[in-house]
Amino acid sequence: MNYAMVRLLILKDWYLQRWIILGSLAGGALALAITISFGKAGFFIGMILLVTVLIASGDQLAFTLVVNERKEKTLAFVMSLPISAVEYTAGKVLANLLIFLVPWTAILVGSLTLILATPAIPHGLVPYVTIMCIEILVTTCFVSCVAIVSESQSWAIATVIVGNVGFNVVGYCVAHVASVAATMFGPVVVWNPASITILLAELVTIAVLFAFTFYVQSRKTHFI
Amino acid sequence: MTGNLAVHFEGVGKKYPHFALENIHLELEQGSIMGFIGANGAGKSTTMRILMGLVRQDCGAVEVLGHSMPEEQVAAKREIGFVSEDMRLYDGATIAWHMQLIGKIYPAWDQTYADHLCRHFDLKPQQKVKGLSHGQRVKSALMLVLARHPRLLVLDEPTTGLDPVARHEVLGELMKVLADEHRTILFSSHNTLDVEQISDTITFVDWGRIIDSGDKESYLDSWRRMRLDVPPGVTLPSLPGTIATERVGRMAVLTTCSFDPAMTALCRDAGANMQSVDRMTFEEIFIQNVESRRDRVIA
Repeated sequence: MNYAMVRLLILKDWYLQRWIILGSLAGGALALAITISFGKAGFFIGMILLVTVLIASGDQLAFTLVVNERKEKTLAFVMSLPISAVEYTAGKVLANLLIFLVPWTAILVGSLTLILATPAIPHGLVPYVTIMCIEILVTTCFVSCVAIVSESQSWAIATVIVGNVGFNVVGYCVAHVASVAATMFGPVVVWNPASITILLAELVTIAVLFAFTFYVQSRKTHFI
Repeated sequence: MTGNLAVHFEGVGKKYPHFALENIHLELEQGSIMGFIGANGAGKSTTMRILMGLVRQDCGAVEVLGHSMPEEQVAAKREIGFVSEDMRLYDGATIAWHMQLIGKIYPAWDQTYADHLCRHFDLKPQQKVKGLSHGQRVKSALMLVLARHPRLLVLDEPTTGLDPVARHEVLGELMKVLADEHRTILFSSHNTLDVEQISDTITFVDWGRIIDSGDKESYLDSWRRMRLDVPPGVTLPSLPGTIATERVGRMAVLTTCSFDPAMTALCRDAGANMQSVDRMTFEEIFIQNVESRRDRVIA
């Protein structure tokens, strides 16, 4: 693996996506401001806006970084550079992940700080919010991986739909796990075995998605 | 592989649901310029993509600059410059940004030459690709490739869609590149005039097969169209290399791919009057070649 080349590919995508990064950070900051500024209604609206900003920026990245590479015919340019299929995949996976982690980390840290710094918000929400933020990361990785493997707009759109439905189903299910629900609206942060297991399962899912993507890409016979 | 070959295809095939590239044998010597002529959908782009390692062949062997493809594509692509008609640069970035990117990847990047090409092609480095015309985009892509001095240039229909002035500029710059006798070029087009202008060997491809290959001068020397007046009762002799015979009344038009001045005497001896023996353009040779091969396949 030529790490210098992969680094260059990531920096290239970072530069090309700079407005998405700035836009998602601005959207996240606005959502957090709404959350703390308008009481209970503001909290719910702000949270919905936060989730929307994260999901939208993740999906947007998958489309502009991966699907558009084929659609706008820049894939031939990239693949004519001295890179292998695996290096291209590593560049795309890491660029997607690292760029998304910028707004994701800012919004996760902002949300947790908000919960812990606001007495009116139950601190017991911390595990649930963390699990759901990581679920958004899982969904984003899922959309990115399908986009990389399929290079298809239709498949990517289908994955966005499945991912968004999946996010709501996971949110509902996690909130109804008895041990999680029992402490969710409590005054203290409780990381019980169920919360930790769910969190680990999410991280393993991300690892499996990446492994699958590299496996498929290394066997591809067509690149343009 | 012979040490002097830049490109060597041996029995290469690739099947798609509605198209198949079959049994491609291709040899391109280092320092030569090969024109790859074929109609749309003939298999030119597929062949070039296989050459670049972007598409894996189903069968056969491909070696490019001593590298087995697609396995050693990374090493090969360091020495190949590829420009394709359907290749685009990043709309959101400037030409200068692309130049910086390529400069970081290829140690042989020649900024002075790149600046010269920008001036020659009337490209403004600070301009975003989004605002470029098709001709400027092609010239930008070509500039990015030429300024890193690749050993092998693979140009897939680079002049398609260019206006006459842009075509003239692009071909002119390629002619200058040809002055470097170590540079090898594979140039595909369905425009025979472009190919004729810069190539020293020509390969015709049609329906996924190479139908003919040879040096440019020998094509022009050996292909002729003969117009004969054939009186009633006279039978034309069987001439070697006859590709097509058309008859309208007493008039006969024979096309041959292995013309010999002795053919004139043979026809005269048979009782026919040779009215003219015309040289053929590459376009005529190409069309005749394709049509006769298609006729044979259909028959």
